[in-house]
Order: sequence, then C-alpha cells, then structure tokens
Amino acid sequence: MLTIKNLHAAVDGKEILKGLELEVPAGEVHAVMGPNGSGKSTLAHVLAGRPGYTITSGAVHFKGRDLLALAPEERAREGLFLGFQYPVEIPGVNNVYLLKAAVNAARKHHGLPEVDAFEFLTLVREKMRLMRMDESMLSRGVNEGFSGGEKKRNEILQMLVLEPALAVLDETDSGLDIDALKVVAHGVNTLRAANRSMVLVTHYQRLLEYIVPDRVHVLIKGRIVRSGDRTLALELEQRGYDWLMDEAA
Amino acid sequence: MSTPLLTRLRDEFGAVRAALPANVIAAAARQEALERLCALGLPATREENWRYANLRVLERARFTPAAAEAAMPALPEPLSGFARYVFVDAELRAQAPAPPGVTVRSLRAPGAPTNGWRFGSDLPETRLALLNETFATDAASIEVRAGADAPGIELVFVAATGAQNGASYPRVRLALASGARLTVVERHLGAADAQSLVNSAVRVELAPNAQLTHYRLQHGGARAAWFDTLTAELAEAARYDLLAVSAGALAARSTVHARLLGAGAELTLSAAALGEGQQTHDMYALSEHRAPRTRTLETFRGIASGRARVAFNGKITVGENAPGTDSRQSLRGLLDGAEAEVDLRPQLEIYTDEVRCSHGATAGKLDENMLFYLLSRGLAPEVAQHLLKWAFLEDVIARIALPDLRRQIELALIGQMSEAATLKELL
Ligand SMILES: Nc1ncnc2c1ncn2[C@@H]1O[C@H](COP(=O)(O)OP(=O)(O)OP(=O)(O)O)[C@@H](O)[C@H]1O
Ligand SMILES: [Mg+2]
Repeated sequence: MLTIKNLHAAVDGKEILKGLELEVPAGEVHAVMGPNGSGKSTLAHVLAGRPGYTITSGAVHFKGRDLLALAPEERAREGLFLGFQYPVEIPGVNNVYLLKAAVNAARKHHGLPEVDAFEFLTLVREKMRLMRMDESMLSRGVNEGFSGGEKKRNEILQMLVLEPALAVLDETDSGLDIDALKVVAHGVNTLRAANRSMVLVTHYQRLLEYIVPDRVHVLIKGRIVRSGDRTLALELEQRGYDWLMDEAA
Repeated sequence: MSTPLLTRLRDEFGAVRAALPANVIAAAARQEALERLCALGLPATREENWRYANLRVLERARFTPAAAEAAMPALPEPLSGFARYVFVDAELRAQAPAPPGVTVRSLRAPGAPTNGWRFGSDLPETRLALLNETFATDAASIEVRAGADAPGIELVFVAATGAQNGASYPRVRLALASGARLTVVERHLGAADAQSLVNSAVRVELAPNAQLTHYRLQHGGARAAWFDTLTAELAEAARYDLLAVSAGALAARSTVHARLLGAGAELTLSAAALGEGQQTHDMYALSEHRAPRTRTLETFRGIASGRARVAFNGKITVGENAPGTDSRQSLRGLLDGAEAEVDLRPQLEIYTDEVRCSHGATAGKLDENMLFYLLSRGLAPEVAQHLLKWAFLEDVIARIALPDLRRQIELALIGQMSEAATLKELL
C-alpha cells in the first residue's frame, strides 16, 4: 500500500526527514511513535502533499504509484486521508458541503456519478451517531467553534465517510477524554479492512490498547530507528526514548 | 468652476432640458441643482473620500438620459410575497398592485403631485445626487402608512440603454410613517455590453419606531459605471437594516449618509463587494449619531481578485448630544492576486462620554492552512479558493433573512466568480 524509501525532506532549508524508510502493507495498521519534534507531522504532511516542504531525495509509492508526483487533491481522490493534528477552523464553509464536495471529488475522479443527496445525508447521519456527534454540527462551519475533542471526532467522521485506502492519523488521540478515545478508536476499527491501511501517529500506548497495531515504528530525528510489534509500544511507555537516541545518531 | 467636462455636462443638459418631465423635478430645480453641482465640481480622486473610486469613467460617460426604448430583459425570479416594480432606464414600466398600507407612485405618471423632496445632504460626498436631480426622468415615491406591517416591495432597475450608450437616474424615496414596517429589495441590473452610466439617488425617511429592511444588489453590466447616493434619516427608535451587495459594473461607487436623529435609533449596515478583473467597488458610509442611545452596527466584507480594487471607508461620528451610543465596525478585506487592492478605512469621531465604540479592519490573503485542508479532502484548487472566498462573504450574506433572495444573491455572486459551475453544485 505505502512504501517509503530513503525519504529526505526539508522545510525552510532545515532537513527534518533524514532517510526515512517505511513499508505499510495493505490491510495493516501501523503506529508511528516518537519524541516531540522528531518529524512525525512532517511525515504526515509530506505524504498529504502540503506545500512548503522540499523533498531532497527518496521515493514514496502509494498503491504502486509515485505519490510525490501527485497534487494534494489527487492524492486525496486516490484514497489518501490525513487526519490533522490541528484541524483548521473554516467558518462559513459548511461541514456537509465539505463532506459532499470531498466525496463527489473522489467519485468523479473514479468515473462515478455524484452521490444522491438523500442517501448521502442518511449515511452521514449514521456515521455521526457512531461518532456520538450532535447532528447540529453538520450545519456549522467546518470545525467552527468545535472543542478540541470535537474537531478530532470530525476528522474521523470525514474518514468514515470518505473510506480512504490509506489513512494517516496524526495524533488523533491527543486531547481526547477516555470516552471520546473509545469512540474514536471504535470509529477507526470499523474501517479496518483487508484493502485498507492506516498509519497512526501517537504519543500514547493507550490508543493502541483500543486499536491494536500490526507494527510499531519509532521515529527519531527524521528516521525510523526501530520497528517491532505492539510490545514495542509498551516498552517505550516504560523506558521512554533515551535508550534509542544513540541509534538515531 | 468650469472644466471641459462641466461644459459638456451643461451642453447635454441644455439639449434635453425641455424634454425632462417637470412633474418629477421642476425645471428651475433642475437648473439649480446643475448650478450647485458645477459650483462644487464633479468628484475628483484628489478628494479624501473619493480617492479609491474610479472616476475616469465619468469622463467618457454620456449624461443624457437614455431613451428607455429597450425591450425588457430577462429578470430574476420574483420573490414570493413581494410586489415587483420594474424600471427600465429608471422609468417605471411594470408594476404590481401595491400591498395594503403602501402607496407606490411614479412621479412621471399623469396627475402626480409636485414635490420638493431633497435627495443628498449638505455633505459634499453626496453631491452626485445633484446630477441625478438634474437629469432624473422618473422617481418612485413609496410611502407606508403609520403602523402598517407591509409585505415586501421589490424594485428592479434595469439599465438597458440599447444601442446608444446613455445614462439612467434611478430615484427612490422610501418614507415610513411611525411604527410602519417594510422590506424593500432593490436590484440594479444592466445589459452586459452597455457602457452606461447609472447614477441613482435614494432618500429614506423613517418616522419614530419605523422599521425598514433594505436589500440592495448591484449587479450592473460589466462595462457600466454605477454611482449611487443614499441618505437616510432615522427618528426615535427607528430601525434601518441596510444590506448592500456590490458585484457588477466596471466602476461602482456608493455613498451612504445616515443620520440617527432620534433617541434609540438603530442602523445596521452590512455590505459585501466582490471585485474581479478590472472592477472597482468603492463605498463611503457616514453614520452620524445625533441622539442618545443610538446604535450603528457596520460590517463590510470585500474581495479583490485580479486587478480589482475594493474599498470601504466607514466613518462614524458621535455628537455631544449622543451619550450612550453604541457603534461597532468590522471591516475585512481579502486579496487574491498580486495586483489586487483592498483599502479599508474605519473612522471614528467621538464628542461625548459614555459611548461604546469598537472597530477593526483587517485585509489579508486566503489562509494557506484552510486552503490545504480543503485540498487534502480532494477539492480542486479553484473550488477550494472559491469556497473560501464564499465563506469570507458569509458574515454579510448570512444576514439576508429571505431564503429566496439569499439564494439568488449567492448564485449571482458565484456567477461573478470565474469557474463558477463547480461551486454551484455545492449549494
Ligand atoms: N517552518 C519550519 N521551519 C523550521 N523548522 C520547522 C518548520 N516546521 C517544522 N519545523 C521543525 O521540524 C521539526 C519536526 O516537526 P514535526 O511537527 O514534524 O514534529 P512532530 O514529531 O510531529 O512533533 P510533535 O510530537 O510535537 O507533534 C521540529 O523541530 C519543528 O520545529
Ligand atoms: Mg506532530
């Protein structure tokens, strides 16, 4: 599904990703953990195509295609979804409009007709119930005035509606209370499928109790320095990152 | 003052004066208006409050009223519950029966009373009302009886100046007696290719406790010059909600002078301007607080794309006899393109204590983070940009309380943006 080889990326002339390697096969859920400032969000942004990053070398393949050659909107339509660490508020752009526009953009890309407005609303309402979101949020501006946790739920709602092939969730668990964490995890779990992959960026092993990952990777100073199964997350929780710092140097 | 332009103005007036209807404005009054205008001179960009207007269009304009022979163009869908009046080149052509409590008169009609209503004010910025007074070929006077809660009136002005370019002078008086209520939708449309001049004058009189909701949509032709002068007087506890959208014309300038003369009078001025290509949208609004506990709530949202210029100059004065005044100004501009220009000027003059006044003005570009968020959801860059521009105008558009009208205005604005088709399906 996703293959990253020797990825080097810089922002404002400063190299952040320094030879990152990552392989996420179809159907798997991988967790990426690492200290603050290690480059996790940078990786997520580079994958989604955010402007401002310079790729100095390396390659990224998504479903066998050269991901870096695609514009951000093309990546999305091809099935890449980024759940933002800090979802932006867009007052005046209605939540439903955005959802519908996003779904239709992908459908058009795949030669499908637009969604039926009624069926679409029914689907969105169903997903909202799953996310325990109040329906009134639909008619509000995108994330406008949403609490931190509501914004994260809204990201997952979008993911559930878009049904991406690859979801990169950047600290979707941060700022969630226990109940919300369960709701979000449940939402993510309903989407697990043989033809879908997920990359969860997280600081906490707690999320991984609810969403059990196939692999855990440690990102330090722009590189994956260690990979393992879910027990690696437990080990990190106990020992922190210091013991891995040497490997990053 | 005498310039080649003023000489031409006099000549044009001399050639048509005998044909101008005396019912609408007496010949002597026209002559007097012309003299006053010539003494003041036409507006010039060296004047503080005209510097952002495109006044070059006045030089090529023909002032002579168009013959109003053009066929009726296609009109927007009627609004349900509204009585529609259509003016072609400012002359009343089609009308519905007036709603109960409301009298609508064309002063051009036989038997119409002579009148001495004054349009414009002493403020020199309103002096284009004198040009209207010189040439006006018709005037609509709309009166609402005391206490009447009248359904809506729709005034559609079409500048249809056929083959020959010419001017039109819409002229409207809106007078609400005490406690009366009315909603007026005023639209200005124009033939796409006419290089016409539209110079309208509107006079609003609100008696104590009267409430007027006034929507104005300027959607003039792409090559038109559109000038407009509106004065309003608000008596005690009167309420005037004015919402103006400027989308059309090559050069648009609107001047508003509102006087809050009675205690507790309230003005809400919401304006949006969308400038594309080479357009100029300029608005000057003066709100004078002359009585205690008066209120002005002013919101402006303007977008300039391409080489367009969008300007809003909002001045609020609080006189010494207006304690307890509350005024708020929120002006925002959005720049899209290196050659676009947005000029916002909030001005506040306070001569009394115990007032609450706040104002803010910001101009900036489309937010990169918002843009990327939309792209990351698969939206095409043009759609994302339009959506954000759209959202920016929402602060004003969302105040349109009539769903049909709101939808029409939304579609008109979208139509104004290029690559519009993609956005339409979202709404
Ligand atoms: N525009 C920029 N100019 C310089 N440095 C930048 C810029 N943007 C990000 N960085 C740096 O890149 C590094 C990686 O940032 P990134 O956001 O990817 O970290 P992260 O692993 O997501 O951290 P966190 O766990 O705190 O979210 C940080 O040191 C950050 O300061
Ligand atoms: Mg981060």
